[in-house]
Amino acid sequence: MMKAYAQEVLEVALASGGDFAEIFLEDTRSSRMQLLSQEAESINFSRLHGAGIRVFVGLNPVYAYTNETDREGLLRCAAQVASAVRDQKKTVLTLPPFVSPQLPAPDCIVLAPSSVESKKKLDILRAADAAARKVSADIKQVSCLFLDTEQDVIICNSEGLYVEDTRTRTRISCTAIADNGKEKQTAHEGPGASMGFELFKQRVNPEETGRTAAESASLMLSAPMCPAGVMPVVIDGGFGGVIFHEACGHSLEATAVAFNLSVFTGKLNQKIAADCVTAVDDGTMPHEWGSTRIDDEGMPTTRLTLIENGILTNYMIDKLNGRRMGMAPTGSGRRQNYSFTPTSRMRNTFIAPGKDDEDEMIKTMGDGLYAKKMGGGSVVPATGEFNFAVAEGYLVKDGKIATPVRGASLIGKGADILMKIDRVGRTMTMSQGMCGSSSGSVPTNVGQPMIRVKQMTVGGRAKE
Amino acid sequence: MDLNTFLDTLFTEAGKAGLEAAEAYVIEDESFQAMATNQEITKYSSNLTKGLSFRVKAGGRIGYASTEAFDTDAVGWLIRHAKDSALLCEDTSEQFIYDGKEKNVELKLEDETGEPDEKLKFVLDVEKTAMEYDKRVKKAGYNTIVTGKQTVRIVNTFGMDKQYTATHGVAYIMPVATDGDSTVTGLDVQVRRGFTGLDAKALGESAAEDAVSMLHASPVPSGQYRAILHHRALADMLEVFSAAFSAENVQKDLSVFKGRLNETIAAPSVTLMDDSLLEDGIGSRPFDAEGVPGGTHAVIENGVLKTFLHNLKTAKKDGVKSTGNASKASYSAPIRVATTNFYLRAGDTPYEQLLKDMGDGLLIKQLEGLHSGADSVSGDFSLSAKGFLVKDGKIERPVEQITVAGNFYQMLKDIKAVGSDLTFPQGSFGSPSVDVGKLSIAGN
Repeated sequence: MMKAYAQEVLEVALASGGDFAEIFLEDTRSSRMQLLSQEAESINFSRLHGAGIRVFVGLNPVYAYTNETDREGLLRCAAQVASAVRDQKKTVLTLPPFVSPQLPAPDCIVLAPSSVESKKKLDILRAADAAARKVSADIKQVSCLFLDTEQDVIICNSEGLYVEDTRTRTRISCTAIADNGKEKQTAHEGPGASMGFELFKQRVNPEETGRTAAESASLMLSAPMCPAGVMPVVIDGGFGGVIFHEACGHSLEATAVAFNLSVFTGKLNQKIAADCVTAVDDGTMPHEWGSTRIDDEGMPTTRLTLIENGILTNYMIDKLNGRRMGMAPTGSGRRQNYSFTPTSRMRNTFIAPGKDDEDEMIKTMGDGLYAKKMGGGSVVPATGEFNFAVAEGYLVKDGKIATPVRGASLIGKGADILMKIDRVGRTMTMSQGMCGSSSGSVPTNVGQPMIRVKQMTVGGRAKE
Repeated sequence: MDLNTFLDTLFTEAGKAGLEAAEAYVIEDESFQAMATNQEITKYSSNLTKGLSFRVKAGGRIGYASTEAFDTDAVGWLIRHAKDSALLCEDTSEQFIYDGKEKNVELKLEDETGEPDEKLKFVLDVEKTAMEYDKRVKKAGYNTIVTGKQTVRIVNTFGMDKQYTATHGVAYIMPVATDGDSTVTGLDVQVRRGFTGLDAKALGESAAEDAVSMLHASPVPSGQYRAILHHRALADMLEVFSAAFSAENVQKDLSVFKGRLNETIAAPSVTLMDDSLLEDGIGSRPFDAEGVPGGTHAVIENGVLKTFLHNLKTAKKDGVKSTGNASKASYSAPIRVATTNFYLRAGDTPYEQLLKDMGDGLLIKQLEGLHSGADSVSGDFSLSAKGFLVKDGKIERPVEQITVAGNFYQMLKDIKAVGSDLTFPQGSFGSPSVDVGKLSIAGN
């Protein structure tokens, strides 16, 4: 329907100048259900609906968004944008007719979320909850969440692009709390994919999700505190990849690079990591949590090698920052929803499989820390300083995994750590997360094989 | 449809759907955001939105659905989904849609939000000030101004129809300073009632000073250190650990304070307030998300745990009155419990005196990674920190690349002195600087 008046809206947006205009229209239905204390505690359905209109004047963007997406609403929004455009040259664009580009076939969705009864979704949570509670008498509380979304988008622009897409995602999350009367420990698992309800037939076993979270919480409850110090650290695959995501990935986004706010600005084709490190950001992996067929600027997503054998080969670039950097966009423009302007973001980001034997890297590490599961973290892009919680850690003594420890965190600078990786294992696994940045919270995968860092600062609370 | 027509249609249709009660919570939002980098406007956004959350009672249970589309389809969709949500819900605790008969306090929550051109000048000025403050300031990241005007309206089948409008103005900048091989970032944030309260010069200068003061920072050796938490660091911590005082978390067994009302849980110098009526408080509002009037509550008074924070549901469970802390994380989120203006009351020790009394130790100015490295259930934290080494009560040198670890609830008991410098660094969480005794530090 919008196609009939989209050209008119773009023209109004460009009425006082500007050299590019774009409409992003979205209608998203989501459900969010929580099971707590074995009861369906809150069930919430929501429908997000709105459009954002963006104009570039060279490197200066102007944006406005609205919920009123009929012709009048969009024209009002476009006029709002035009009123803020300051274009000395008063560029007058002639808009080409819309062309819908040839896109790869969409991932097949078997059971669309809106076609599945809410009761069945709750049953998935009940299965996870029951499995978690079976693990130990210490598991006193379990909280499970079911989330699914179907996002319809239309993206069109003054270059003649007109594309539509639907993004379907389903995820569960299980938080288990172990409690021995004196102390509490929480652990979390949250698998998901770009799939409908078939996720639970094809990829995710809810019982396993619940059990894994509960086992970790229960184990950590009795674990002593981790000692502090500088030591070799082995970080396991899956969510261990959060270290690369936070400490390096964000610094390779054009958002940081274009403004020279990244330690990796100007380092293209230079060595920034140890030879054994190859890292990839791939938005094309079928059904993966961070994948999309097109990005939020309407461009097909790509597979990007960020680092190849230690050499920096690519940044993740969106349209506007591409102009700033004089480089082509990489299909990396993403946003949480229409209320954010898109910017360069990660999709599925991982350290590629290497050649090292997982057992050997622990055997030869001497005394150190084995971080089996990482928690979340944060980073300052300008300096690459990071901070991660270790959700499940083990002390390694003389090359042998000795005791589980809790309360550990890893800190350092991304650029230093990349150079200090001395082992990369053979099997890469990924985990799902929500990544927050200037264009909101977007689904991303983190991943890596097991890796070893020669030396890292470990924060812990054990008394000296 | 316009909002009033939509509400009329919605309630008429809801009446036919066999619901016990229904309520619409509507937010209308006018927002503006601009960012400047290298004296260019790199982000500009001006928006008008509204969202409606529909809450119904059916079979004694509460259900939710929300929409941003206000067409005829949306009416049926909301009623169907809200009813579905209520019928699936298994929360058997008594739930409420409030009749709203109590009177609210009148609060002045509106200020000028500024014209676009003066706001653009503001961000350009902040950057300029920061860069000119010290030649080692090389860049100014995330230099942003945000203003907003929000009207909250609650309409329900008990005849409640009340609303308030609040404005805000927020500005922040993260300058990057470089000297030799040392690169550091600084930060300052201003959160005010409107544009008028924002000060570009003060913001630029204080953020630049925050950055250059950290140049050539290095770790300290690992060990136990005497420590003062700067008001900025402690306000951030309060935000995380305030969860333990929510009655909702207490009732769900997610708080160490369950069953400990009227016990001494902190040093006598600790009084922790939640005040939704605080003058100039950015978290202030006349009534909460259920329409219940706000109030001033001491959560901890002189070290003694006095109350948890309640909404109608948790209050009924505990047999007390709601403290007016019902909250929605966004208009579409379900009703929970949240703080309003939450702060540690100022003590009488001036900031300089805190440092003098400590003698040797660390001043922790900033904490990173709070969303992952701090566990509000257990109280454990292990966080990347920045600050200063203090010798003989004087700042000796900047410190970074350390982690500070401890347990927040134990720390509340160990507090030695509370400063007089109460500040709300990022809005609704406030704290003075505090001498917390000993903390475990991992450095080199």
